[in-house]
Amino acid sequence: MSTRQSPYHFLIRRVHSLLGLLPIGVFLAFHMVLNLSARAGAETYNKVIETMRNFPGIFVIELIVIFIPIAFHAIYGSWVVYTGQSNVLRYRYARNWFYIIQRISGIYTVIFVVTHVYLLRFGEATFAALQHFVSNPAGLIFYALGVVLAIFHFANGLWAFAITWGLTIGPRSQQIWSYVCGGIFIVLSVVGLSDLTAFLK
Amino acid sequence: MADQKMIRLKIRRQDGPDKAARWEEFEVPYRAKMNIISCLMDIQKNPVNAQGERTSPVVWECNCLEEVCGACTMNINGQSRQACSALVDQLEQPIVLEPLTKFPLVRDLMVDRQIMFDNLKKVRAWIPIDGTYNLGPGPRMAEVKRQWAYELSKCMTCGCCMEACPQVNSRSKFIGPAAISQVRLFNTHPTGEMNKHERLEALLDDGGITDCGNAQNCVRACPKGIPLTTGIADLNRETNKYALDRWLRK
Repeated sequence: MSTRQSPYHFLIRRVHSLLGLLPIGVFLAFHMVLNLSARAGAETYNKVIETMRNFPGIFVIELIVIFIPIAFHAIYGSWVVYTGQSNVLRYRYARNWFYIIQRISGIYTVIFVVTHVYLLRFGEATFAALQHFVSNPAGLIFYALGVVLAIFHFANGLWAFAITWGLTIGPRSQQIWSYVCGGIFIVLSVVGLSDLTAFLK
Repeated sequence: MADQKMIRLKIRRQDGPDKAARWEEFEVPYRAKMNIISCLMDIQKNPVNAQGERTSPVVWECNCLEEVCGACTMNINGQSRQACSALVDQLEQPIVLEPLTKFPLVRDLMVDRQIMFDNLKKVRAWIPIDGTYNLGPGPRMAEVKRQWAYELSKCMTCGCCMEACPQVNSRSKFIGPAAISQVRLFNTHPTGEMNKHERLEALLDDGGITDCGNAQNCVRACPKGIPLTTGIADLNRETNKYALDRWLRK
């Protein structure tokens, strides 16, 4: 019965899971907190961005810590989305809803991040640039959804991460961990959305 | 006969795998304590639909009639369960009967669940005890362990967990919760434990444990109340340890 195994399947899936937290999730949290500087005004914000951009070796750091992990997580994640088939209309359980929202938020985040990077990393990353983008209601909704769904994807991913790595095994530990992840979702969403309100003037 | 209560049934019928599906309605005289099997038997005895037209008897599978074999599993009012333990008095009418959707259809309510058996073979869900001489009795199993392992042994490969799982579909190779839970059962058994690595190895493959999407429908769909999601999380821990150890020893 021992047919040939695909040797990297397990490794790829586990790397995909790990990257979601390290570095992507940590980067997301860092990014949300750092952007609070926008609330101190355009000048402070532009200074922070300038400092980051002039950081020695920033290109290599961005490539290895941010770009490659996100690209891998996004491409492999899209394949994972393709192999699923939601049945939430027949099985209306909360976790089944989270299953499909996790996939929708993942796809939305890919579209959002590509736009976001194109506009602000390769474009002109100034306070005024983002201010202009979110002055359009559609642009604001696109951004607010991007922030909230990316954070949801991270928080719910963190819940599943604990199962994938065999940390939360029984239903009770999974339940308690879901409250913790819910707390992380709320805190990071408040931070992320208050970052965004700084640009609404 | 005028005030005879009737049970209304709506059945999804299909004459064969390549034939078109259609709905057919039936009315069956009510008797106390009827289940879905007895309704289907009545239709078999008198294959006339609700319009009074003569039709072919509805095809289904059943065997034990006490919810331990899993053969009569079908979707009853949208929920996958065993027809034998689905009591008419507890069901909303018209009772809608459909075949399971995750398995190749044979005819009407009958599907081919061979894939579940193939998956059990894939994960080596048995205990090898054959030798060229008498191997003697195996090691003792602790009573507490036996008690919870017994719960896992109640799996009847009925397919309810496969039906509920969004990761089990034609685009995915996922073996499903039932086979994964059986790995936990056989790895717990003191003799089965001797071949633990072979079963964990099988779970690392494409379609194995990593393809679980944590929707957790399986544990709610299981008619036997088997802790399927706990089993998956537990085997996540075991396969991680096993894969890391194997890699470090290379």
